[in-house]
Amino acid sequence: MFEIVNRQILSEDIKRISVLAKDIASRAKPGQFVAVCPEEGDERIPLTIVDSDPSKGTITLIFHEKGQTTLKLGSLPIKENIYSIVGPLGKPSTVEKKGTVICIATGVGIAQMLPIARAYRNIGNKVIGIIGAKSKRRLMLEPQMRICCNKLYIATEDGSYERKGLATDILKKMINEETVNMVYAIGAVEMMENVCAFTKEKKIKTFVQLNPIMVDCMGMCGSCRVKVSGKMVHACIEGPEFDGHKVDFNEFKLRSNSLEELDEWYSQKSQLSTPIKEPGILTRFLWGSQKEQP
Amino acid sequence: MGFSKRTALEEARRCPQCAGSECVKACPIKVNIPGFIRSVRENNTGEALEIIKESNCFPSVCGRICSAPCEKACVLKKEDAPVAIRALERFAADYGKQRSPNIRKENNGKRIAVIGGGPSGLFAAYKLAKKGYRVTVFESLEKPGGVLRYGVPEFRLPKKVLDSDISDIKAHGVTVMTNCFFGQTVDLEGLKKEGFNAFILATGAATPKFLDIPGVNLAGVYYGEEFLMRVNLMKASFFSRQLTAFPLGKRIAVIGSGNTALDCARSALRLGREVTLVFKNTEQEMRVRTIERKYAKEEGIKFEPLTRPAEVLSDDKNFVRGLRCVRMDYAEDASGKWKLEEVPSSQFEVKADTVVIAVGHVPNSNIKMFLPGLELDTDGSVVVDAETGETSLTGIFAAGNVVTNAQPLVNALAAGDSIAKGIEQYLVGVKNE
Repeated sequence: MFEIVNRQILSEDIKRISVLAKDIASRAKPGQFVAVCPEEGDERIPLTIVDSDPSKGTITLIFHEKGQTTLKLGSLPIKENIYSIVGPLGKPSTVEKKGTVICIATGVGIAQMLPIARAYRNIGNKVIGIIGAKSKRRLMLEPQMRICCNKLYIATEDGSYERKGLATDILKKMINEETVNMVYAIGAVEMMENVCAFTKEKKIKTFVQLNPIMVDCMGMCGSCRVKVSGKMVHACIEGPEFDGHKVDFNEFKLRSNSLEELDEWYSQKSQLSTPIKEPGILTRFLWGSQKEQP
Repeated sequence: MGFSKRTALEEARRCPQCAGSECVKACPIKVNIPGFIRSVRENNTGEALEIIKESNCFPSVCGRICSAPCEKACVLKKEDAPVAIRALERFAADYGKQRSPNIRKENNGKRIAVIGGGPSGLFAAYKLAKKGYRVTVFESLEKPGGVLRYGVPEFRLPKKVLDSDISDIKAHGVTVMTNCFFGQTVDLEGLKKEGFNAFILATGAATPKFLDIPGVNLAGVYYGEEFLMRVNLMKASFFSRQLTAFPLGKRIAVIGSGNTALDCARSALRLGREVTLVFKNTEQEMRVRTIERKYAKEEGIKFEPLTRPAEVLSDDKNFVRGLRCVRMDYAEDASGKWKLEEVPSSQFEVKADTVVIAVGHVPNSNIKMFLPGLELDTDGSVVVDAETGETSLTGIFAAGNVVTNAQPLVNALAAGDSIAKGIEQYLVGVKNE
């Protein structure tokens, strides 16, 4: 049904796959996502549609292998079928001509940023990209971002590539220097909160894309609830794009706290797996090491 | 457990086969109850199953989880021992074998799209397919069944039973398109171009009502839907081969008194947790069958009736530590009516690591996004014509919980009949024009 046609390792534990899904590819718009379930009985995870090719009928997904489900998805080979993909879900992002737009993204957020930066550039905006990562090994999609941005700034936390420091520092410098009409931020919650707090002072319109935990991604479970301008909404049907100044980040942090807990829980060693032992006598005999030892 | 053959025969003999047949009048989908009980009594379970299937395509589902208004209407209810109609239906469905093969009606060239593969959608599809329409069901999850698959836990309704019922519906010529989210993967314009003549909206009421108390956004607070979905869809059920794929504490507090709350509590119990059920009303006012309430008590769920949750308490890591509650009681107010009021200075804490909230549902809010111009009630349910089931948009009909808003299963199914008639009228009218 949903065949994997291409698979590529982008950087440390980040993978890109292209999947055959005709209906989704023909209707996907920037900012939308799909719910993926790699095998029967697995968790359904939301993944942003990075690229879609209607003529071939493929969509491209990029994900960070950190949980059980993403590890399983990353281990599926080419020609394997994915059990279920539903989409495109969520509202498409509102792309308008604004002038100068800063697109700031960190970590896996760069993958989510790519279609949006492309859409803003195509419409005739001046797009300034700022991407950040922990180290050079973790940085991804740099050439693609270079193509779709007028200018690209890169920051790594340990200084292994280009500028050393945080992406938000570059943003603050840019806003002080140039006239910026809009900011779009995707990435870690702390980063988005910082950006929104800063742009609120300067009165620059800011959009963010939230990625809370989702279970069914169709507005049924209520696990993706977010407080936006004092009202609880489902991020899966009203979002994932929100006005950054209206989102209650304190409440959102509480919920994403449990996401981290979930990862911790996942990374616990399975009780079923056999521990690695010293090679037994038979193994050593077959290796021939028995002879060497007197 | 279901009836054995001997018990079933004995139970069927108790039915007086009264001429008025109050049970059929009470049943929203009008199953010929005295008819199938007579067949069971004559030791002819196959025929009994066929009689049920004339009006109900979910015999084994209804035999297990129906709210059974027929038993309340039974004439033997006066003697406090109504005929166990539900259990007999289950017996007929489990042991009966259909004699005649499913005959597909010759199709009459009209295509109908059913949006939502839940019970009411499938029921309406079955009714229309029996009349010879070409019906396609659009389901957004990977398998049809809706709430019966993700909501009702395995111990109440085994998924194998559901699969067999659905395969029977498919045998009547209903096509099911899975992984197809109406509004996003397909939309109204595209389907009209494909040649669908009429649409049935059966998206159900599954969006949880948000509870507004401090602390509901803490980690470790789930809504009932999410909890059940994780347990059912992700195979974390109690016969599980996999581990539960979500953090769940040792002690669980469930808020709510409906079927969803009880399902949550009972499946949490089967995962080996201590469960406390917190609700506002008395035990007699719970909207569940008495027998299931008794089962839940027997299994060891702690009941806290007449209690209102006031706050979810958190520890220093923003995880749930407990639930602060206030006792409620009935008190006479100035006008002489009995009303629920808080008992002064009666606060107490329920110790819990996880809180599950199941306080009710509202219809899915995305219908109004994808169908602009649809007339909605104040509570979000769709306004329909009482006789035909047509909505304010021509050619679009609505059935099930999206209209009735959180009703038991049979009431959701009941709309199927009237819609089949309404669509027939509508399509004939279109032809004449």
